[in-house]
Amino acid sequence: MLLIDGFFAAIAGCGFGAISNPPRRAFLYIAILAAIGHALRTLLMGTFAFDIATASLCAGILIGFTSLPLGRISYCPATVLYIPALLPMIPGKFAYNCIFSMILFVQNINDEIVSAYYMEKFFANFMVTCSVIFLLAVGATFPVFVFPNKAYRMTRHQKK
Amino acid sequence: MDKKERFTAVAKFLGKYASHQMGCGVHTSRVVRNTKRLSESFDIDVAVSLFQRTLTISVYDHEANRVHSELVEIQHQPILFIHNASLSALSWEALDNHLTLDEVKKKYDEALAAPLLHPLFILILASLANLSFCKLFGGDIVAMIIVFVATASGFYLKQCMTRWHCNNHLTFIASAFTASFIAASSFFLDTTSEIAMATSVLFLIPGVPLVNGVIDIIEGYTLMGVTRLINCALMILCIAVGLGGTLMIFQNSLF
Repeated sequence: MLLIDGFFAAIAGCGFGAISNPPRRAFLYIAILAAIGHALRTLLMGTFAFDIATASLCAGILIGFTSLPLGRISYCPATVLYIPALLPMIPGKFAYNCIFSMILFVQNINDEIVSAYYMEKFFANFMVTCSVIFLLAVGATFPVFVFPNKAYRMTRHQKK
Repeated sequence: MDKKERFTAVAKFLGKYASHQMGCGVHTSRVVRNTKRLSESFDIDVAVSLFQRTLTISVYDHEANRVHSELVEIQHQPILFIHNASLSALSWEALDNHLTLDEVKKKYDEALAAPLLHPLFILILASLANLSFCKLFGGDIVAMIIVFVATASGFYLKQCMTRWHCNNHLTFIASAFTASFIAASSFFLDTTSEIAMATSVLFLIPGVPLVNGVIDIIEGYTLMGVTRLINCALMILCIAVGLGGTLMIFQNSLF
């Protein structure tokens, strides 16, 4: 189950990464990061009953730390590797529900009870979407603050 | 080349270098760091001031007690991580190997001329990515195929409209509408239609600027970060408009 999850996350990471035109050598590492990050989040949510925000933060931290050695190997800045790897974890379903609730809220504006229901759904989905994206970014950036010297020297080749 | 001419030439080049990075999706602190590293390789002290559409490079001549400033317009372009990596590497190479300005300029042109991924290859990968997304959200095989076709169509339209220099917001609205309209065919089939709809437009989510915005804020470039996030919010709003159009057409099929 986790392997399948990681496999599809790797494809998603590479696909969304391709939109950002990364160097060809980065694809393998983006796939690895996307796979381990998404698999960890699925594991934490499925087995250890973590909520999506905390699980995303943990996955972000794992991706961030792993991106440091992989960035060094591939001579790519950590952001080039971890940003595409984070994209499959953007909570698209919550974002969709957010938009969907907003449209239904506007359409039912004259019915107080129904519009209040969709307003509540809109804010709930909005909060989840924003907090997950924020925590993913914070988690992945955190290792850069812990090891700034390593993180800033990824693209440095052997000094002549 | 006398000292003043050299300072002007360096300031012009650093402006071009920083502006290209800002335009192609590099987060702010990296742009500043790379630019300062490059100036250090020329033994020149520099300060960078950044806004959303322009940046200013100030080169200090401490002996003459003079400052030379260059105001450069930032040309926004598609996100190019390949340039993020190669221009960052260039700054290290210049510092470690003491390259001259002409050598750095030559390598800069070479880095920018490096071949990019073929648009068709990107289109196929992006469609496969959305298909995988659909699977991750629990979509069945029919929904996955529909999402693949919807993404390919929406993404192709986005590529065409970008090539035709259409307004970016209009491009997002039209692409979201096209992708979600095709995904709406799932309402007429026995499949996970809601997941197909939800995932069909996800290729448009501006993930890179979103994460860059958060990184900028965390690293203290609050103004740039907030500007990036506001731009992202606008793009997401455009996706909502496109998706909303489809949902309004097909709303009777939703309940």
